[in-house]
Amino acid sequence: MTRPLRTAAVFFVPVVAWACYLFLLLPSVIVFPISFGTGGEFEFPPRAFSLELYRQFFTDAAWWGAMTQSLMIALMTALATTVLGLPAAYALQRASLPGAGLINGFIMGPLLVPVIVLGLGLYLQFAPWNLLNRDVSLFLSHTMLAVPFMMISVGASLRHLDPTLENAALIMGASKPAIFFKVVLPQLKAGIAAGALFAFLISFDEVIVAYFVTGPETQTLPVKMYSAMRWELSPVIAAASTLVTVFSILLAIGIMMLQRKEKQQ
Amino acid sequence: MSSASDVSFLSPRSATLLVAPLGALLILFFAYPLILTVWQSFYEGGFTLRAYAELATSTLFYKVLRTTFVISFTATLVSLLIGYPVALHLSRQSPRKRTFYLMLVMLPFWTSILVKSFALTVLLGHSGIVNQALGFISGGTIQFPMVFNRFGAIVGMINYLLPFMILSILGSLLAQDGNLARAAEVMGAGPFRIFRKVTLPLSMPGVIAGIIINFTLSIGMYITPALLGGRQDMMIANLIDFYTRQTLDWPMASAISVVLLLISGALVTILGRVRGGAGVMGVA
Repeated sequence: MTRPLRTAAVFFVPVVAWACYLFLLLPSVIVFPISFGTGGEFEFPPRAFSLELYRQFFTDAAWWGAMTQSLMIALMTALATTVLGLPAAYALQRASLPGAGLINGFIMGPLLVPVIVLGLGLYLQFAPWNLLNRDVSLFLSHTMLAVPFMMISVGASLRHLDPTLENAALIMGASKPAIFFKVVLPQLKAGIAAGALFAFLISFDEVIVAYFVTGPETQTLPVKMYSAMRWELSPVIAAASTLVTVFSILLAIGIMMLQRKEKQQ
Repeated sequence: MSSASDVSFLSPRSATLLVAPLGALLILFFAYPLILTVWQSFYEGGFTLRAYAELATSTLFYKVLRTTFVISFTATLVSLLIGYPVALHLSRQSPRKRTFYLMLVMLPFWTSILVKSFALTVLLGHSGIVNQALGFISGGTIQFPMVFNRFGAIVGMINYLLPFMILSILGSLLAQDGNLARAAEVMGAGPFRIFRKVTLPLSMPGVIAGIIINFTLSIGMYITPALLGGRQDMMIANLIDFYTRQTLDWPMASAISVVLLLISGALVTILGRVRGGAGVMGVA
């Protein structure tokens, strides 16, 4: 950027920028001190330090059960997204399929449709088949939502991949599956890991579709939090929020580190 | 990377086999639910336009539609006004510093929208720090109701939308050739003139893309208006939920979804034109 522009906006731009960073960060940060309050009314700053809200979270099956449910669904989503997305991403990159552009567009589709519409559609689909309130419906729905992120992540590493290595292996007599597992896969590790973390985070944080397709037995943590915020206003929300934020930040840092590693390669 | 060697490596047949499982998942759990929604909006034991006719005369629907557009427009506009200077700030940092500042923008982007909405209800509530600060400054005379009304809904949406706007504008600021501004400076243009005549016009693609992305995301928002807005601030997504669960009128819920789908489809198409189709959501 130019020097005169910098001098012109000496105050305005940085002040707005810092106010904005604060505005963006504050809501994610403030749940930490609130969660260590005593649990009367939500207050910031809290008057006394206590772990009472965490005790309530981990002794109430409705809360920690929802958390283990979320972790399980997110894990299954990450696995399914990898198993389905990785071969497809590789094939789309390496073969010239007719209509590859259309297929790629279709795969990115879940990103472009408002989630509420997908929530309703899946609800209409599962209701008559008696598949609402089932783990399998939820995890397949989440897999659908997470697939584009896996494709973006693996697609980025695939583009850096040199196809001559695969051809060399082919000439030396390696079978195609062997080439995929021994030559391609090791080079894609960072991209796959980032994609899987992405998928895990998407599922772990997802509220709307889960709210439509789950029931009391399959409730995830975000759904439990959403109903608690709307109807109970239980102070345990603060502890749940802090746990969710810690998870999200750890996953986000993991993704960003993997992406940087990817770029350096 | 020569494309000739790419082509020879996988036969179309084995490639199709590798894509098929994913295709099946998306057909079953993405395409089919969408088709079902459209179908449900026209079919109630036989073909009917009942749901659409009812929508066309529903004052509730028009009210919600108007609310959605007013809130989305306001949130997008404010995000632009805040997001542009922030993108400018980011574009002027050294790459090292920019990575750090970008973390400040991206970390909240990754945290749950539920958590952020909840935190905002506490921050903006009647005993939250914003009102406490106002009360302290004014000696207890000024208190604003800032949550469970339109103001709260808009603040929550801006909080969610800002990273999209910032990243979109930053992209087109970083893509600019610094020599242009330097040339203008050499020729005697002042800083404001350079900004107005060089930097700003060249960043317009990012601005327009940011506006469309924000508006598209806004009109589909569900959580934020539900948690931070008031009864009067129901948006389209909340109305879909209302017809699905409260009145169990699935054809109505589907018809509203079709309307939402058409609006966001049109916006995404325009975005594709602006961006040349690449990286539609500008996220990853």
